[in-house]
Amino acid sequence: MNEVLSVSDLIVKYGNVEAIHGISLTIDQSELITICGANGAGKSTLLKTIAGLIRPAAGTIQFLDQDIAGKKPEDVHKLGVALVPEAREIFPSLTVAENLRVGVFGQYHAKQYAEDLEDMFTLFPILKTRYQQAGGLLSGGEQQMLAIARGLVSRPQLLMLDEPTLGLSPTYVDQIFDLITHLKQRKITILLVEQNANRAIEISDRAYLIKNGSVEFNGNADEMQSKIDLESIYLGG
Amino acid sequence: MNFNIILEFSINTLALGSLYALISLGLVFVFGIMQLVNFAYGEYIMFSGYLLYFLGVFTNLPWFLVFAISILGGAIIGFLSELVAFRPFRGRSLEALFVSSFAVSLILQNTAVLSVSPRSKAVDLPAIFNEAVQFGEITIPIRNLLTIAVTIILLVGLLVLMKKTPLGIAMRAASENFPAARLMGVPANLVISIAFIISGFLAGVVAIFWSARSGAVEPMMGQGPLLVGFIAVVIGGMYSLTGSVLGGFAYAVLANLLSMFLPNELLSFRDAFMFVIVITFLVIRPQGLIKGTYTEERVG
Amino acid sequence: MVKLWKNNAVLWLFCAGIILFGIFTNFFLSPLMNDIFTNGCITLVMVLGLQLFMGNSGILNWSYMGFVAIGAFISGICSMPVNLKEQALPAMYPFLQQINLPFPVAVLVGIAVAVLFAGIISWPLMRLSDSAGVITQFALLIVMNVILLQWEQVTNGPRTFTMGAMKTTNLWIAMFAGIAVLIFVYFFRETTLGLKLRASREDRYATLACGINIVAVRYQSFLISAGLGALSGSLWSHYILSFTAKTFYMTEFFMILAMIIIGGSKTVTGVVSGCIIVTIVRKSLQQVEIGLQMTGMTEITLAIVMIVFLIWRPNGIFGVKEPQIFNNPSDFKIKEQYEKTN
Repeated sequence: MNEVLSVSDLIVKYGNVEAIHGISLTIDQSELITICGANGAGKSTLLKTIAGLIRPAAGTIQFLDQDIAGKKPEDVHKLGVALVPEAREIFPSLTVAENLRVGVFGQYHAKQYAEDLEDMFTLFPILKTRYQQAGGLLSGGEQQMLAIARGLVSRPQLLMLDEPTLGLSPTYVDQIFDLITHLKQRKITILLVEQNANRAIEISDRAYLIKNGSVEFNGNADEMQSKIDLESIYLGG
Repeated sequence: MNFNIILEFSINTLALGSLYALISLGLVFVFGIMQLVNFAYGEYIMFSGYLLYFLGVFTNLPWFLVFAISILGGAIIGFLSELVAFRPFRGRSLEALFVSSFAVSLILQNTAVLSVSPRSKAVDLPAIFNEAVQFGEITIPIRNLLTIAVTIILLVGLLVLMKKTPLGIAMRAASENFPAARLMGVPANLVISIAFIISGFLAGVVAIFWSARSGAVEPMMGQGPLLVGFIAVVIGGMYSLTGSVLGGFAYAVLANLLSMFLPNELLSFRDAFMFVIVITFLVIRPQGLIKGTYTEERVG
Repeated sequence: MVKLWKNNAVLWLFCAGIILFGIFTNFFLSPLMNDIFTNGCITLVMVLGLQLFMGNSGILNWSYMGFVAIGAFISGICSMPVNLKEQALPAMYPFLQQINLPFPVAVLVGIAVAVLFAGIISWPLMRLSDSAGVITQFALLIVMNVILLQWEQVTNGPRTFTMGAMKTTNLWIAMFAGIAVLIFVYFFRETTLGLKLRASREDRYATLACGINIVAVRYQSFLISAGLGALSGSLWSHYILSFTAKTFYMTEFFMILAMIIIGGSKTVTGVVSGCIIVTIVRKSLQQVEIGLQMTGMTEITLAIVMIVFLIWRPNGIFGVKEPQIFNNPSDFKIKEQYEKTN
């Protein structure tokens, strides 16, 4: 299996406070990897650092055959990494059409884009209905769909999803998990950060448990399942 | 009231409003992208004005070339000032940016004082700028009509740019949420540089019509338009392009009405009134008349 | 008591230095040097007033110069002899012309008017931060400037306001004021109000979370700052003796801003050093300017230096903490305790 992403001994600081104390992880082609852990453990920080929003203090981030640690976010995106940020961060005053168009700013090919749009409409029919509406008018779940579509439309080699089910109603949560499963079937490489640890691990190949900025445990779905049950017994949740 | 007087007043106010709208657009382009109140903007106008002066008085170039070069000069100085004095502060505190823009403004002003003269210089413009047309009983200066026409053309052009082109969409995305836009692959440097180029370009256009009104250029000439820009942007809306245009027109109407109706003793305080209105807006309705993408937080 | 001396050694050193230099200048140096020293002390008061609010709150208060101007004009009006006013400033309101107060009282009246004005109008402004705050402060400055520039019956309008020929502010008064204000602003940092203000600069949300009313804290500090500004204005007007509203505007503000940025906005030591450095640079460059006929060079040089400092040493020469000569013993105690438990 080809390795898509390899993070080694990553250290990330906010000012003088260390948020990530040496995390290492790998993702192979077409894998779905889940990162779980409590709030404040460093999961979002990890994704943001990979995407280039934060510059790490030490460590390497090997993406395909390049070290992307410290590169600018727009350059990282061009190389094929797409982050769907926590809280969606769609552009409220731009229409759905414009939101999607921004997603391919650096790598636009007319024919390819037209095909990808049609693909998005199949995956997310609501986007076709609301194509000319302002992003801010969409519901939370619809915005999440838009955010994911915006990430997908650039045909990324690595799709990173930061808490995609945060704040969504149960119906939408189901839809999101169905969507992620479907994307996995398409063999897209996905790095998923989720609070809903159990459900996420169920559909993943492997998972990492992050605690206080370090990898506490990692393994395949079964190993993670029992580990998390154990944790809840001892720690109460 | 005499219909003719009203018509004349309206057209002249429209012309003034157009000019003010261009001024505030120039300020808002940069503010929208980086929340920077660019004190140096007045000096972009001054710089273009001086180019206009040199080319007009000392060369025999045809007018359209003179105008083109001075407008281009504005765009270039805008671009360069960002590169040198604002880019190093990206991601740092806003105060540093403000102080830096103030410093740039002073550098440019004093460079003019040093290299040309502290005194004003009469500017040479095509004769048409001083002529007027008669429509029946009313007289309208041609430059007012030109201002209105140019403003309409520029507004339409900018509208097309921002709404229809990928670059414009990217810029709007960036001004709404800069980090998210970068995550999508929108290059930060490109977007910011373009914003400054447009700002400088607009400054160049303003310089032509502003110096046409006063007939001269001088090192402090940027201060007047800058203050106008501040007022217009605050009233109309700091976070929306349409808002700033509206603000420009609103200011022109307000200023002219105040000029007409303020008792004589208070006339010289007109500017103070305008700024009190500015302060009131900032306290009561900081987002201005048009809300746009306002998300600023308040402390108390 | 010994701690008071040791922990703030740098402050006392500066004070001693100023006093000694002042005595030396007065008895041994040229009138030009005397002028520079007196000017420097008055400017020191001005800068310290700005630093008290701006350095500790992180908010750039452009409007500061307006309060300096108020102090200058009001104290001048109050202290000038009646017949001098009637002659030199005929447009003035008669009731103002009739006022004649001793110099210290006039200064106090100037401060009172400035603080009153600040008190009335600044409360709503203290809620705004970032860009809205900056624009509002700037707008306030313009309002004050226009009013002062146009209100003939008080300030003689755009025409020069002359105060006769006798300088009331001399080297000793300026020096005394400079040292007093220096000590005041230095210890303000560690008062309850000062600490709350500094906290609000470091982290707005954390400060709010501690239950601190940031608006109230800023408001009180703003008033103190306005008062100090008015004090410096009063000293200055009684020194230069002829000025207009334009004297207290952008260029002068830029100068004191440069002092704060170069020296460091967060410490008083920084501000004093910045004041000394900029005054020296400014005076020397002004001589060069006159010699080479190059007006404007001073401002350009200082502006470039300011930008350079902002880029490479944003906390100025002295950084974030007041420099210590004797290590503060309480620091060691805290460090020991921390190391024991970790």
